[in-house]
Amino acid sequence: MSAAAPAAALATGRTRGREGSALARRVRRAVVSVVVFVLLWELGSRLKWPWVGDAPPPSAVLKVWLPLLTDPGYWYSWYQSSRRVLTGFLFAQLIGIPLGLAMATNRVFNDLTFPVFEVLRPIPPLAWVPAAIIFWPTQESSIAFVTFLGAFFVVVINVLGGAKSIDVRYFQSAYSMGATKWDVFRRIILPATLPSIFVGAAVGMGITWEVVVAAEMISGGGGAIQSSAGGGLGFFIWNSYIGFSYPQIVVGMISIGIAGYISSSIIRAVGVVCTPWLRTR
Amino acid sequence: MDLIVQSLAGESVREHVIALLRSTAPFAALSDKLLGRIAVIATLERVPRGEVIYQVGDPAKDLYVVASGQVRHALGPGAQATVLVKVVGRGDVIGWAALLKDRSRRLAKTTALEESELLKIRGDQLMEVLGDDPVAAQEVLERCAKMIIEDFTVPAWLAQVQVLPTGKAAAGTRAGGASNIRGLALFMHRISKWLQGPTPYLMVVGFALFFGAWYLLSEVFHLWRFASIPGPHQVLIEWLNPNPVYGLSVYSSEYYIHIWSSIRRILIGFTIATAVGVPVGLFLGWSRTFREYVFPVFETLRPIPVLAWVPLAIVMFKSGAETPVIFLATLASFYATALNTMLGVESIDEAYPRAAACLGASKWQIFRHVVIPGALPYIFTGLQISVGVAWFSLVAAEMVSGEYGLGYVINTSYVNVRYPTIVIGMITLGIVGYVTSALVRMAGDYMMQWRVRELALGGRE
Amino acid sequence: MLANGKGAIRIEHVDKVYDAAGAPVQAISDCSLDIRAGEICMIVGPSGCGKTTLLNAVAGFHDITGGSIWLDDEMLCGPGKPQAQPGPDRVVVFQNGALFPWKTNLENVAFGPVVQGRMSKAAAREKARELMAMAGLSGTENSYPGEISSGVRRRVEIVRALMNDPKVLLLDEPFRALDSLTKSVMHEALLEIYYKNKVTIFFITHDLEEAIFLGQRVAIMTTRPCKPKKVLDVDIPHPRDYSVLTSRRFRELMEETVHAVHEEAVKAFEAGEKEM
Repeated sequence: MSAAAPAAALATGRTRGREGSALARRVRRAVVSVVVFVLLWELGSRLKWPWVGDAPPPSAVLKVWLPLLTDPGYWYSWYQSSRRVLTGFLFAQLIGIPLGLAMATNRVFNDLTFPVFEVLRPIPPLAWVPAAIIFWPTQESSIAFVTFLGAFFVVVINVLGGAKSIDVRYFQSAYSMGATKWDVFRRIILPATLPSIFVGAAVGMGITWEVVVAAEMISGGGGAIQSSAGGGLGFFIWNSYIGFSYPQIVVGMISIGIAGYISSSIIRAVGVVCTPWLRTR
Repeated sequence: MDLIVQSLAGESVREHVIALLRSTAPFAALSDKLLGRIAVIATLERVPRGEVIYQVGDPAKDLYVVASGQVRHALGPGAQATVLVKVVGRGDVIGWAALLKDRSRRLAKTTALEESELLKIRGDQLMEVLGDDPVAAQEVLERCAKMIIEDFTVPAWLAQVQVLPTGKAAAGTRAGGASNIRGLALFMHRISKWLQGPTPYLMVVGFALFFGAWYLLSEVFHLWRFASIPGPHQVLIEWLNPNPVYGLSVYSSEYYIHIWSSIRRILIGFTIATAVGVPVGLFLGWSRTFREYVFPVFETLRPIPVLAWVPLAIVMFKSGAETPVIFLATLASFYATALNTMLGVESIDEAYPRAAACLGASKWQIFRHVVIPGALPYIFTGLQISVGVAWFSLVAAEMVSGEYGLGYVINTSYVNVRYPTIVIGMITLGIVGYVTSALVRMAGDYMMQWRVRELALGGRE
Repeated sequence: MLANGKGAIRIEHVDKVYDAAGAPVQAISDCSLDIRAGEICMIVGPSGCGKTTLLNAVAGFHDITGGSIWLDDEMLCGPGKPQAQPGPDRVVVFQNGALFPWKTNLENVAFGPVVQGRMSKAAAREKARELMAMAGLSGTENSYPGEISSGVRRRVEIVRALMNDPKVLLLDEPFRALDSLTKSVMHEALLEIYYKNKVTIFFITHDLEEAIFLGQRVAIMTTRPCKPKKVLDVDIPHPRDYSVLTSRRFRELMEETVHAVHEEAVKAFEAGEKEM
């Protein structure tokens, strides 16, 4: 048996085939599982299984969804929610990243602020809703504040953790090559923290969507925010619930799922671009 | 130093020393046998009046028990103590720094106020003797720790949180005692280090600034929008008021009903989520077939925020407000637990299952002995996140639909303009949330002694 | 001498092609090697040359794409049976160590006989305690692996393997992560164990000095695809100790082989460069 022959043979057909088949198998199984899930849901809904029985079947959802796709009101809800998410998210990054870096680099500042931060952190963001409404002049600004809070703690914790776990040898080698403190901050601390910043951003984005949806729903249902807060996908869901159009509730849920998925994909993509050294070959 | 050293060969002196040790707080509970062994390594010294026994910064080698006379114990400027100077007499123990890990230094200066007799015990030898009886040693060190804590401004909660779990472990696994003792000595060392630094004081300043600013802005100067939010003083008065103006304080039974309803929901949701999520996560990580079939559905549903399920949950579970609320907490917990457990299984170094296989373990044995314990660290991270998100979702659900619970308190207090009650609700949530996650962490430490001990050593290699 | 144990391994024309990364990689090609019962056979080659792949095939961690591997008269893998079944007759000691961190050292050592159902838990622990005492490991039984030094950990792992009375010990660069002083202690400890047990040892390393010091035969492997390039008989009599290192014969053997190893190392390095 020669060494080259089987290698050459394998290089052509069989390997590609096997590699391809692994991927194909995964895709096939994924499709099967999702299709089975949807069918079970349809079946359960029609046969009035307990629990599932009162959720509308996917066919009904689809029937309601298709006409909505051309409805500007529906898309306006998308816009409203996305705008709120973005506002809260950006503020959380703008304030959270510098704060986390300051806590990581300055001992005194850290000792001063971190305990207070840790005491406030366990309070769930939505518990702030009423206090925020009392404090902030407009309902829009109070939603923005609560959204901001949702992402803020995660962002700070991630930046802080990332910056603190930098290998001390990086600093040592930078200083030994004559770097100043500012060089170290800009060329070591910042880039080394970047991966954690993106982790924090991704998690923060998820929480932001949760908070916005809830805040919009509370504005419609719980009574804390009067319904003039206007629009948004959370409000869309709540409105459908009030109006007994149950399929539309599911439409709203799926829409938020898609919106959330798109936003975290964007963050992941930006993260990949910004941290090229993490790419595996 | 001119010390008169007396050898402890005679039996009567030995009895005398044992009696002396018995009269001290740290050694009171030891057996005669162990005290006898300590007596062997102890020497009795006579110190003239005015003699300095040790200085701040001296290397701490020995522990002293005062047998007679009076000794002035003055803590150095670095140590932040409640009482800086004290006078100790018969039965008091000084010089505990000798028990600390690493070569530590004296924090105080001690001077004999009159001619005194001191029992001198080498710290490292004492630890060695104690090492043979871990349970007793644990007792001694805990009592020492208590003594130190009373001397210093260590917050009691810190001491309790850290000391208790190790104590339990020592009682449970007698064999593991020796390293626990090292761990406790290390802990004592850290406390003394912590107290010498600026950290605790800056912490106090930080809180003072926070509460001060809140108080001044809202209650004194009534600045801008702060005028409308309740100040800390107002909240505290209401919270501790036997006759609360707005109906909710630590004295009203309703307060506890709300807390209990929330905790009960978390408990049910968390238990279900853990009972289902951990096995699902384990199988997701362990079986490729299972993962390829189940994970896509999981991934399809996960981007939908848990809170977006609120109305659908109400529609699905028509049985009142309780089931939907619990369902939401469960769902949120479940995602976190299952996902982290799966990651935990994937994180296991492939050498472990391989090693088990070539030692003859069956597939099921590998699952039990390698996969489950190997994934535990991640599982507990997941559980910690899971309690957090359970509270997060619970509050929202209670605010939208609920008949009791802390989220409900916050929302109705707003609607009925009982503003201080909102803050009471928020603070209570913070405390209860913190406690539950601390409990999960402690459970994790208890179940993963190997990890606790590894970390206590500072991660070798 | 010493060839009284069971556990001869016969590797016949083994091929292994990986195709995980999309492009096939020929890791092993037409590799044949006879390891006699009760001998220490050292496999030397640069990092990434495929020698670990060979060990994994013997251990049964993955399949081979051609040829066969035999343990005495039993075919471990070959035509019709691409992957061997891992088992306690061929215990592996891993590169970075694989003591279970969640079990104490004693539980680790007792693990094999317990899971095989050969001994009760108590009996296994009793025997483990004995073996550990013989290896100078008394006092570490109740510590966790994370609490002892890496040299001690490696010794515990070797004792864990010996608990199963294996025919063959498969060592995959077990001392790689140790500093050279600890390593020299470990070498003598391993030889001591070997003289007592006379188990066949299949030892992978990239350290030529280690190979010649320990081995009765040293197989120098070519880099990817992996196959024996030269098999050296080390005619220094056992038992050996560290004085061997300064002997003339040892230096002659080093000189004889260092060139071959270096050549392969350069090839491996260049191949690695290209891959980047």
